[in-house]
Amino acid sequence: MPDIPTNPNDPRDQVDSTEPIEDPIVSQSLAIPILITSVLLVGSLLWALYEEALGHRPWRSYQVEFVRLYNAYLKKEKPVQIKDENQIKQSAEYRKLDQALKDAEDQAKPQLAEIDKELAGVRRDLDALTEPFQLARSEVGALTYKTETAEGKRKEKLDEQLKELRKGPFVAKMPARDGSDRTEKVEFTFEEMESRFNELKRRQGELLSKKGAIQKISADLRKERDEYLAKQIEGLTADQLAGLQRKMDNFVSEIKQINIPDVGLVERCESCHLGIREPLTLTRGDMKGHPEFVSHPDKELLQIHDPERFGCTPCHGGNGIATTSVDKAHGHYEHWLWPMHARSNAEAGCNQCHDLDVVLDHSSVLEKGKQLFLHRGCWGCHAREKFDPEPAQIQLIQKNIAALLEKKDANLREADRAQRQGDRAPDNATAQQLYQQAENLRVGGGTIDSQVEQLNLQLKSLMTQQKKVGPILKEAQNKLRKEWIPVWIQNPHNFRPNTKMPRFRLERDEVRALSAFIWQSAIQNPKLPAQPPGDAVRGKQAFESRGCLACHSMGEGSEQIGGTFAANLTRVGEKANYDYLVRWIHNPRERTLPYCPKEKRDLTPEDYARHNLPFVFDLDHSRCPNDGAEIVVQQMTVMPSLRLTWDEARDIASYLVQQKKPASYPDAGFMDDPKLKDKGRALVRNYGCAGCHEIAGLEDEQRIGTELTLEGSKPLERLDFALLTEDAKKDGWYNHKGFFEHKLSDPAVYDIGKIKEKSERLKMPNPHLDKEEINAVTTFLLGSVDSTIPKRYFFVPEDQRRDVQEGWWIVQKYNCMGCHTLRPGQKSVLSGLPQYAEVKEQLPPNLLSEGARVDPGWLLRFLKDPSLMENSGNLGQKGMASAHAAKTQPKAEAFQGAQASSAAERERDRNGIRSYLKVRMPTFYFSEDELRKLVKFFEGLSHQPQPYLKQPLEPLTEEERLMARQLFNSQGAPCLKCHATGNPTHDQTASAPNFLFVKERLNPSWTERWIVNPQIIAPGTAMPSGLFRRDGDRWVFNGPLPDSFKSYQKDHARLLVRYMFELTPEEQARSR
Amino acid sequence: MNWHQLWEIASAPDNVPIVALLFLIPFFTWYGFRQALQNDQLIERLEANPDLAKTHHRKTYPWRKGWEEKLHVWPYLLRIEFLVALIVTFILMVWSITLNAPLEEPSNPTLTMNPAKAPWYFLGLQEMLVYFDPWIAGVLMPTLVLIGLMLIPYLDPNPLGNGYYTFKQRKFAIVTFCFGFLVLWIMLIVIGTFIRGPGWMWFWPGMTWDPHRLIHEANRDLHEVIGIKLTIENRWWVALFGAVVVGAYFIGGFVVTHLFFTRTRLKAAFDRMNFFQIVTVQLLLILMLALPLKILLRQLFRVKYVWVTPFFNI
Repeated sequence: MPDIPTNPNDPRDQVDSTEPIEDPIVSQSLAIPILITSVLLVGSLLWALYEEALGHRPWRSYQVEFVRLYNAYLKKEKPVQIKDENQIKQSAEYRKLDQALKDAEDQAKPQLAEIDKELAGVRRDLDALTEPFQLARSEVGALTYKTETAEGKRKEKLDEQLKELRKGPFVAKMPARDGSDRTEKVEFTFEEMESRFNELKRRQGELLSKKGAIQKISADLRKERDEYLAKQIEGLTADQLAGLQRKMDNFVSEIKQINIPDVGLVERCESCHLGIREPLTLTRGDMKGHPEFVSHPDKELLQIHDPERFGCTPCHGGNGIATTSVDKAHGHYEHWLWPMHARSNAEAGCNQCHDLDVVLDHSSVLEKGKQLFLHRGCWGCHAREKFDPEPAQIQLIQKNIAALLEKKDANLREADRAQRQGDRAPDNATAQQLYQQAENLRVGGGTIDSQVEQLNLQLKSLMTQQKKVGPILKEAQNKLRKEWIPVWIQNPHNFRPNTKMPRFRLERDEVRALSAFIWQSAIQNPKLPAQPPGDAVRGKQAFESRGCLACHSMGEGSEQIGGTFAANLTRVGEKANYDYLVRWIHNPRERTLPYCPKEKRDLTPEDYARHNLPFVFDLDHSRCPNDGAEIVVQQMTVMPSLRLTWDEARDIASYLVQQKKPASYPDAGFMDDPKLKDKGRALVRNYGCAGCHEIAGLEDEQRIGTELTLEGSKPLERLDFALLTEDAKKDGWYNHKGFFEHKLSDPAVYDIGKIKEKSERLKMPNPHLDKEEINAVTTFLLGSVDSTIPKRYFFVPEDQRRDVQEGWWIVQKYNCMGCHTLRPGQKSVLSGLPQYAEVKEQLPPNLLSEGARVDPGWLLRFLKDPSLMENSGNLGQKGMASAHAAKTQPKAEAFQGAQASSAAERERDRNGIRSYLKVRMPTFYFSEDELRKLVKFFEGLSHQPQPYLKQPLEPLTEEERLMARQLFNSQGAPCLKCHATGNPTHDQTASAPNFLFVKERLNPSWTERWIVNPQIIAPGTAMPSGLFRRDGDRWVFNGPLPDSFKSYQKDHARLLVRYMFELTPEEQARSR
Repeated sequence: MNWHQLWEIASAPDNVPIVALLFLIPFFTWYGFRQALQNDQLIERLEANPDLAKTHHRKTYPWRKGWEEKLHVWPYLLRIEFLVALIVTFILMVWSITLNAPLEEPSNPTLTMNPAKAPWYFLGLQEMLVYFDPWIAGVLMPTLVLIGLMLIPYLDPNPLGNGYYTFKQRKFAIVTFCFGFLVLWIMLIVIGTFIRGPGWMWFWPGMTWDPHRLIHEANRDLHEVIGIKLTIENRWWVALFGAVVVGAYFIGGFVVTHLFFTRTRLKAAFDRMNFFQIVTVQLLLILMLALPLKILLRQLFRVKYVWVTPFFNI
């Protein structure tokens, strides 16, 4: 800018030195700022491009890494596999197969060559003929159609034309017969041409099928050889590895997506987890420490749940769509509601669909969690679908009955009113009408009665099924040592470390009040009869051999043996009353007094006396004498009756009480203080004791805990971390898993730092679970969700699998697996006991194939009464109907222990089918519903067709009977040496069931398979295998055959089975 | 002291505008005032020198030789706008790369968040709900604000100062606006973001937002302060009491504002206004001041309502 001279006199030129001389707007250069911001802008653009390509697509770098590692792994693995493969190829077996293949191929070669040659000729002819023939056929066809649709004269004319046309001549250029390349023109009539064409076609088919048949021989051999190779070699063959390498060479970097449109599921997990479905087992070591590239740890599980159908996140949780970061994809992000399950709780995902299964393969942790929930009695306080459904159903039915009875009353009143009106009616007709009305109403009462009767039957079934985890407290006075009660309540784990009873946080005065209430509310009369002492030595034997140890354990600490399903009985002598123990062992279901839910009180002998009824209550006498309501006649325990004699019960009780002598306990005089009773009742209510125990006056108490059916999907905000919220967030356990784990290890944890009234503090007692158990229960709770998966994915089978599913609940409820094996590979508790190590045949039978083995009707009867008393004298024909009607329940013998050895008692002191076993199949008093479910369970477990149709057996001829008898008694197979016969002296050494049961009990086709090869069905059985050998298509006795068999052409095994199914006691006696 | 939580609030993508506001509002307020004061100074200088007054000048600078009287839009204006466009684009780019849309889980009608906050520009209104009934805080007050803003051209009779930044010509208007905008609007937004925690409880910065925190504050109505309990029988008397108090506030407000207008340098402006203009200004002022007054009553004296009637409470 040119310098403008200033005039010092001009005030306009008197400017501050701070003011610019040049025009700031014109002179200012913005180049630098614009340059800088432009550079920044371009930089941000590049940044955006980077984010677009890689920053927001981290899976790209994962894919590069995977391809590199996987290729390296394959390269390393291939020579190893090739070496292995070569070794196998060198083996004699492989070479034999390979040779066979080569021989077959060589043999087939000339034949094939010949066929191929002829085939080539036929094909050439066909090629030449096809086109002219098709042309001719269409011409003829068109004319034929015209002829058929035409009428009259025209038809005749067309007929003529058609005949003319069919005569031809049709010309085709056929290859010359000498096989040279020349062609020759051949003229055909239409019929000739057609038959030639068809002939060629037929010949071609013939040749092809012949070729196929010849090739099939070598193809089969090749398949056999390759299969052998695949079976021998571990992992994949070199060819397969090469295939994988090719796959990696052609790898395309892209989002790997599973899309299941009908579920709306899009999963991109495999964009990073590229190895998850590889056929190889890729470990972290194989992939150089990259955990994200390993293959799925349970390939079998993945096969059942194909990811193409199920995806990944429905089971594992997480956000399958997210690809921008690991945390987001795994759902570890506060706004993703279904974060991925931790590895230790991965099986929580199974429960979404398998909520109805209590036994579930491939998910041992979840299964354990469910079983803990079931066996520890968590459901006593916490409602949970599928657990303990009976109380709710009972309540509903009781309500229905009450409504029906009320209706009936109203009807009767109405009838009376109509009757009275009729009496006063002005004329006959009106009176008649009113009388009729009254009559109708009275008759209607009958219908109501039958409805009530129906409901009562259901009620009875449900009441039989209803169980509580803890023992009845109404009988505390009869059962327990008074001073022991406060000691126990204070800390149950002190007395019995593994007890199911959890520890409540009680203060001294609370313990006193609780004990006082329990003691004072217990039944005082009638007292139990005093029992004479038994023989403890015999008792010990019985305890260890009768099967008590399948559920109960004995010994403390490292000496403990037996099952953990029920209490450890080491210290039972310190707490329990001997007389009560005797009655309990004799029949645990026996109650001192029955309970009437309608009157809401225990019935006394006076109630019965008032109605002139004997004081007898059992499953056959389960109606209230006062009002006819269905009453509780059994203890709500799952402990079954072992059908022991009173003597034996006394022996065992003596053994138990002598285990440990009663220690001395502080005086508990306060327990008789009536002032404490009300406080105690309030506490019992507050702590929900009635959830697990039957307590007088609190039979209808509701559960006090939170319902847990959908606990896993409760919004996190609804889980009250209380004052630990901030700590949890800081320490990273502000999630469902953290909440459950902390709560289970210390149920009072969320009261920390709070000042509350005692009654308002958290009540949940400490169940004393170990780490593993806490993890299992946590897994179960995490899986208890309101699933977002479509309902049709849920495992709710309609077929036999449902029977199995339902049956497992009963099996678990009653601990059948303490004695029996019901799953492949499962060991029963008894089989692990030292006393059975040598005498495996003394173990209860393996029930894996029970459904196939026995007749379902028989099984029902057996489960109902394992002593089979009903059939003991009568093994003849008896239908299922009679079994249903059978009254097999042994009569309860209240307070008549002194008459220990009555005839009835001796009768039921037996095992129905395997009388040679010391261990008893107990009587569980299953309800009708449970019986039905169990039988169907066994049928389903063995995949038996429904309904069961007994295979008809052709009756024996006299001749056959003779032969079979010889076989039955032959020296090669002396059946009766092991099998029981019913003769006491013989049966002392018997170790197999009596044949007289066969007819009713067994399924003929199973029996045949059994006698042919028992080892396959029950590995390790004492029943000898190899009794029969295969001869053509029949089984032939594998031993010295009597002469009479020389001309016998039928199946020997079948003959024996038919004989067994016709066996009578007389016949058996003759055989002996 | 839980400063981590403060950081979490400040760094939430949702709160970017609010954090930016903490810096941008003071900056632009300062910048605007600077410009206005410079203009005022220039005018002073021009007025002092009649020669200078006749010249053309750049705003904030007096005339100099060689300075063009007029400049072209291109390039002198557009290049600046272009630079600004570059800067804004750059900021938006970085913002969009670094912060994703703060999406949350699907809404659950049975589980509302705590605290549930309005979008940042409405937090002031939400804060007002603490002090007034919803229909007053949510309907009446915002309507009055809008009406007041619309009325400004009709209330301000001063033609000087149009078209440029000036403080001198509009002192009263600017001070009133700053009070209404910065104190009553921006402050309430800041309070709503950083101070109000679960249960809309007052948490000082650094306090843990504990939903279980117990606060022992008993809010009372004004009549309770002077010892009158509300019963069915005396409800009309209580209403009358409140009406008297509120009426006294309005009358007192008119008197004070009248004195304020007549006894201060605002007199000149006051003289230019007609009666309706004056009354409207007074009314709006009194209503605006009612808000901080009510806040003070609540925060310092725990007074909940001044005027309790069976129909409405103020």
